[in-house]
Amino acid sequence: MLFNSLGFFLFLPAVLAVFAVLPERRRWLWLLLASCAFYAATGLFNLVYLGAVTLVVYGCGLGIARSSRKSSRMVFLVLGLLVVLGGLTAFKFYDFAVGELERLAAWAFEREPTAFLPRLGVATPVGFSFYAFMAASYLIDVFVGRLAAERHAGRLALYVAYFPKILAGPIERAPAFLPQVAAGLRTDPERFVNGLQLIGWGLFKKVVIADNLSTMVDRAFGIPAFATPMDLLLAVYFFAFQIYCDFSGYADIAIGISLLFGIRLMENFRRPYLARSTAEFWAERWHISLGHWFRDYLYFPLGGSRVGAVRRYGNVMAVFVVSGLWHAGLGYGVGWTFLIWGALNGLYQWVGLATRGLWRGLGERLPRLAAGTPLHVVRVLLTFHLILVAWVFFRAKSVEDAFVILRRIWVALPDIPGLVSRYPFTTDQLLGVGLIALLLLIEILDERRAIWQRLASAPVVLRWGAYYAGIFALLILGRWQAQEFIYMQF
Amino acid sequence: MRTLGKTALIFTAIGLVLYLALYIMAEWLLYRTGDTNPFFKMATATETSYDWVILGASHAMPLDFAEFNDVMERETNQKIINLATPGTGPLYNRFVLEQFLQNRRAAKVLYVLDSFAFYSRAWNEARFSDAKLLRRTLFQPALAWRLLDYCLTEGVDPRAELDYVTGFSKINNPERFKHDIWEGEVQFERVHRPSAAATAKRIAYLYPEAALDPDAFTRYLREFEALIDFSQLNGVAVVVIKMPVPARFHSLLPNEAAFDEAMSRLLAEKRVPFHDFSLAMDEPRFYFDTDHLNRVGLTEFFARQLKSILTSPMGE
Repeated sequence: MLFNSLGFFLFLPAVLAVFAVLPERRRWLWLLLASCAFYAATGLFNLVYLGAVTLVVYGCGLGIARSSRKSSRMVFLVLGLLVVLGGLTAFKFYDFAVGELERLAAWAFEREPTAFLPRLGVATPVGFSFYAFMAASYLIDVFVGRLAAERHAGRLALYVAYFPKILAGPIERAPAFLPQVAAGLRTDPERFVNGLQLIGWGLFKKVVIADNLSTMVDRAFGIPAFATPMDLLLAVYFFAFQIYCDFSGYADIAIGISLLFGIRLMENFRRPYLARSTAEFWAERWHISLGHWFRDYLYFPLGGSRVGAVRRYGNVMAVFVVSGLWHAGLGYGVGWTFLIWGALNGLYQWVGLATRGLWRGLGERLPRLAAGTPLHVVRVLLTFHLILVAWVFFRAKSVEDAFVILRRIWVALPDIPGLVSRYPFTTDQLLGVGLIALLLLIEILDERRAIWQRLASAPVVLRWGAYYAGIFALLILGRWQAQEFIYMQF
Repeated sequence: MRTLGKTALIFTAIGLVLYLALYIMAEWLLYRTGDTNPFFKMATATETSYDWVILGASHAMPLDFAEFNDVMERETNQKIINLATPGTGPLYNRFVLEQFLQNRRAAKVLYVLDSFAFYSRAWNEARFSDAKLLRRTLFQPALAWRLLDYCLTEGVDPRAELDYVTGFSKINNPERFKHDIWEGEVQFERVHRPSAAATAKRIAYLYPEAALDPDAFTRYLREFEALIDFSQLNGVAVVVIKMPVPARFHSLLPNEAAFDEAMSRLLAEKRVPFHDFSLAMDEPRFYFDTDHLNRVGLTEFFARQLKSILTSPMGE
């Protein structure tokens, strides 16, 4: 059941209606049942697996809390992580790894590749990448004492299974989620309206922007050798906005739905393409919940920045390579492209770290230039284009395809002005460019002062006009043939 | 809370008025861009009585490409309306015919048979929900009732009715300003270069299920029988033909002999004339793609076979 499907538009009001009439302290149970029904709609096997993971995490959490010796606490932690993260690794990579091993063996022995190793042959349960990380963070938090183990199995199950976030995040933390449930769930008109606004905005980003761009992106990335350099260039730009609107659209809807139930989820995106550096992009603006997860549960335990320069650079690269692996299987298959994508982003961080002194020096010597708008714009554009190059590896079907795309664009770069002037832009492409321009305008305004605050203080004609424009844009321009959200396809 | 409720009510009311305005605009636009959709043809037809109604899937469509329907009318001195729709089976065609006969009369139905349309829901029940068809179908209360009836009795997805009544697909039509012409019509003058890969791809598209389902065939054969019964009950004679296709394409059609046998048996039982021209014209110069006649092919076919059928009193 997708957020942009008719089924969900019937499901949500039904869940809300029952939720509203139940006593506050019983509402968690209804949300848990609704979450199970929602997740079961993706396949019964998925629900069984979710139940098993929840039971293991619940048991291991209690085991950690009740053990007095560190060694037995460690046993419970390792056991829990093995089930959760080991399971995730096996589901995602086992079949790919044995395939690569067989290819390697065939190359080494100069024979035709044959499948001689056993395969799992099972697809990763939908959303597992997300709830596995939530479950792992819970166990680690209990282990290090950041959080008391949850004794209420139902509330913990809701934390893992909560339907708005189970398929594509945000990767919520238990210390923020569980107390809200324990305190009793209630909403107020302001939260409710805010929730509806976020749902509308998220749908606009997904159905109007992302899905209108997707056909053009798919066409060019399908067989890059057959596309013209201009087609490829447009597709690369369009993909950057497709994936942003698709994923952040999902997050906005998830956060908006949660507000209807009185639950606050963490912000997952903060106008990422306005970042001034790739470090800012990853740490503060793009998929924030995942970035914070890697920071807290991988980067810091590895020593973070409190180690020598070599180890620090190594830690940064480790985080980005693991992040690349985590993204593998994202609707575009499991392949080496994700590893390269992760490593390339790690490389950007290295360059950022190495040149940090340079920027600081510039700020001290030429403070007006460093704080001025022109340099700000240059940095934003540079960061955006670095991220853009990395997205090519993320989206391409193979490493070869990615290099074909980059090479063909690179070769055509000197002729771009002529190519643009001669290019027969289609209505769909012009619509795509217009939608991206609108998105950027809204984001730039939002960067200065939250758009919701602007709307709240605007005259009612303007405010309602904006709402109607949004709703009718969804009706007129939306692609409602229920395309899956990219990040759901893990 | 009461103020909030009142505000929500006013917001919804204004929204509904705006939606209605949009609906009317979308409907108006359909009159400007409409062409191929059978319900558009019915709504804009000038005659109340026709000699021939042509039904079927895409193989029947070239008969109405460019000015060919006018040519046929002139040459046969018959009034002909072509209500064929690409990718539709007997269930959808019965729906079209029932709607047509509600306000108009016809002497004969020429049903252009395609075996693929008898094996899958995709070409029958599921076609009713296809946004590409719904977005070009004019709103008529009688049609809405008929569609509701099909949802209740024939297993058509109720979302088709919801979409049709709310006009959602028309409002949401990404091709709202484009003329409603089937993609095949722009290739009508072309000559196809035979390609084994293209033919195999086309066959795979026409038969989406991995294996032919005998139950589905029985069901859609029954639907076809119902179409014949309905026609005969309304005093409309039925003539069934199979259009020419390249021999290579024909050889790849799964289970075609068994289909022909079952169909012949049914049509003989119903005393319906059946003309199988599948293998009548094999030359590539007669086709604009893997299996549809181009202008040259159609002209030849009309002169050789179809004209005599259309002019014969019983379509024999």
